[in-house]
Amino acid sequence: MSLAIAGMGWVTPLGSSVDSVWDRLLHGDEASATTIAEEFGDRSYNVFRVPESVLRAAAHPRLRRASVISRFAAAAGLDALRAASVKLDPQNAEHTALIFAISNGGVIYTKRFYRDIVNEGAQSASPLLFPETVFNAPASHLAAILGISGATYTLVGDGAVGLLAIKMAEDLMVNEAIDYCLVVGTEEIDWLLCDAYRRWRLLRPAAPLEPFSKQKRGMILSEGAGAIVLARDGPFTIECAHAGGYFSKRAEATDILKRILRDLDQGEIDLVISSANGTFVDEAEYRALKTVVPNAFVYTAKPALGESVGAAAIWQVILAVQALRSAELPPVLHADPTTALRLSCSRTPVAGARRAVVLSCGLNQQAAGLRLAFR
Amino acid sequence: MAQAGYPNEEKVTGRVAVVAAGVVSPLGVGLAETVDSLLQARDCVSPVTRFSVAQCRCKTAGQVPDDRLLAGPGVGRRGRHRLHRASHMIIHALKEVLTQQPQFKPELTVIGTTSGGMSYGEHYYRSLRQAEDLRHAPTWIANYPAQKPVIDAQETFGISAPCQVIANACASGTNAIGHAFECVRSSRYQRVLAGGYDALSEMVFVGFDSLQASTPRKCCPFDRHRTGMVLGEGAAILALENLELAQKRGAPILAEIIGYGISTDNFHITQPNPSGIGPRQAMERALQSAQVAASEVDYINAHGTATVFNDAAEGKAISAVFNGVPVSSTKSMMGHSLGAAGAVEAVFCLLALQHQFLPSNINFTAADDDLDLNIVANETRPDVLHTVLSNSFGFGGTNASILMSKFQA
Repeated sequence: MSLAIAGMGWVTPLGSSVDSVWDRLLHGDEASATTIAEEFGDRSYNVFRVPESVLRAAAHPRLRRASVISRFAAAAGLDALRAASVKLDPQNAEHTALIFAISNGGVIYTKRFYRDIVNEGAQSASPLLFPETVFNAPASHLAAILGISGATYTLVGDGAVGLLAIKMAEDLMVNEAIDYCLVVGTEEIDWLLCDAYRRWRLLRPAAPLEPFSKQKRGMILSEGAGAIVLARDGPFTIECAHAGGYFSKRAEATDILKRILRDLDQGEIDLVISSANGTFVDEAEYRALKTVVPNAFVYTAKPALGESVGAAAIWQVILAVQALRSAELPPVLHADPTTALRLSCSRTPVAGARRAVVLSCGLNQQAAGLRLAFR
Repeated sequence: MAQAGYPNEEKVTGRVAVVAAGVVSPLGVGLAETVDSLLQARDCVSPVTRFSVAQCRCKTAGQVPDDRLLAGPGVGRRGRHRLHRASHMIIHALKEVLTQQPQFKPELTVIGTTSGGMSYGEHYYRSLRQAEDLRHAPTWIANYPAQKPVIDAQETFGISAPCQVIANACASGTNAIGHAFECVRSSRYQRVLAGGYDALSEMVFVGFDSLQASTPRKCCPFDRHRTGMVLGEGAAILALENLELAQKRGAPILAEIIGYGISTDNFHITQPNPSGIGPRQAMERALQSAQVAASEVDYINAHGTATVFNDAAEGKAISAVFNGVPVSSTKSMMGHSLGAAGAVEAVFCLLALQHQFLPSNINFTAADDDLDLNIVANETRPDVLHTVLSNSFGFGGTNASILMSKFQA
């Protein structure tokens, strides 16, 4: 079964409309790094944050106490539905499924809630904050805003979780009673996450993020959301969502990525939207890409947009659609020009490109892929 | 057009067998201990020992003893102390599944949880905040993600299936089994592992306490004097397989999953719509999915958290759909294990079908005049069961119901 992408919404550190973010990427723009610190932490970190103006646009009474992760998701989800010209009413809301992809979830409120417990004791815990710490809080807010009364799921995983969510959408839409599936990937950042990834040797303290570099200096975290509306017909078709699997050790990531690429490769892959982010992922993807699809153009937006973890794979799908639609790729920023991959180191035309692969190697052992076609 | 929430009739191509099951909960480690506890209607809620509850209203929970968990299968000495308790729970449950079905090779694993390795996140934050020893921080961080216990369990037994981890709050376990059921029924998959897990953590415990959803007294679902829930923990896994294929290879059929219903109730992030519309839709959709009448259901394992609002909404929904069917909440015996609850309770339903009994709703003292329910009060009773329904509802208005039946060739 193949599904079509009927609409997309994008909330990123480079702005919040698909066309404008894409335009900025084509022009080689990079999000501005801001520094976050913590009163009890001895370090500060660079992150790519979503501009405040985007949050103002996502105002809704249901979101008045919600964390930014829910507001990013609502903004992206509503944009995607608008772009797909889908207006939900009580009738078609029942025939629309909602799937969220999340990795770290509502970490800001979770930290605040637990901070009060640690500092002041359990009696100080806030009953207002606790519900917002639950993984499915963002999905529940958007379902309420849209009036969705049928299937709502939140999937948790690493950077690959967005593709697993699309795979789940494919499984759900076997049921012909479901007309649309809105898939939303969303994430927010906090100092605590930066510190955790740094202790895991996956984060660099300051920009730039250098993809496919021989020295794996680490990633820069970012935040935002991506949303796609899946329907049954349309020019952009998900021909195959590959649930991949997991790798036990980082050194084994290449093998699973090769298997995914081989399964997705029909000898016609024009371009690959990679998840390279300056960590061990890059070497794993480099080896897999070089072996299986050496002639495909390769692009990663993570130097420009950062690593948005739970939102990342949906962002990659949006990038793939935009690349096929506009027949060009933005420049990969801060890349090693001597790499053997066919990186789009400058703005690169890909005229006639019809098929793209989205490859996602997560930081927590999951890997998945997806093949997209433009008819 | 078919109604949303259940598969299109034309697409229903396969029956779905449960060919193996494994469970770890306060009621016991493994099916044998669990059925014994259910038959004895044992109260397995005890004072919390894992963290301080001095400032909480509620002081009790259903807990799985560490000495049972850490004596688990297939994990070396290093892993024993490195892995999260949740990993040990799933490893135990999966070991039991694979003992029954060593050749079971899933194409997909769908597991529900609400809090993943939350207690490791707590250790990390507390150590940072109080400038304590952070030598173990990389271990805590690596074992915190929600998918990690699932991967740990699969790795232990050489299973390489992709993992979908559903976090639909307290409905997660039932959602996982329901989604897995639909995957097999549609014939897109032949074999899927499904279940749920959650380990007790301070943050979640205090969270429910702060909402005053948990009780300082006994957990007495559907009772007139109910005052709230107690938390629990556990893990359970079911091996689901296309019935025809399972029969061909001679696998024992423990039961069939025959229906699944899901609904989203947009009333409030922590409270159900008092009308019971969400639970009612989930149950009705499960019946439609199974194409069985409400009168064919012999027992309902209710969500039954014992909070005033949940039990009122669920009770109203049950009495609107069913007429006098026996109902119990097994949370009265072990507490609410959140993301594990739906999976653990599915195993209880399986055992009830196999051993033909109605699990008890303990601590029941007086019927709620506003609820018209046939509660299985205080004693497990023998009965003839063919079809049973299990409910799970959660924060965010997620509602899920599955129907399970005794296998008939």
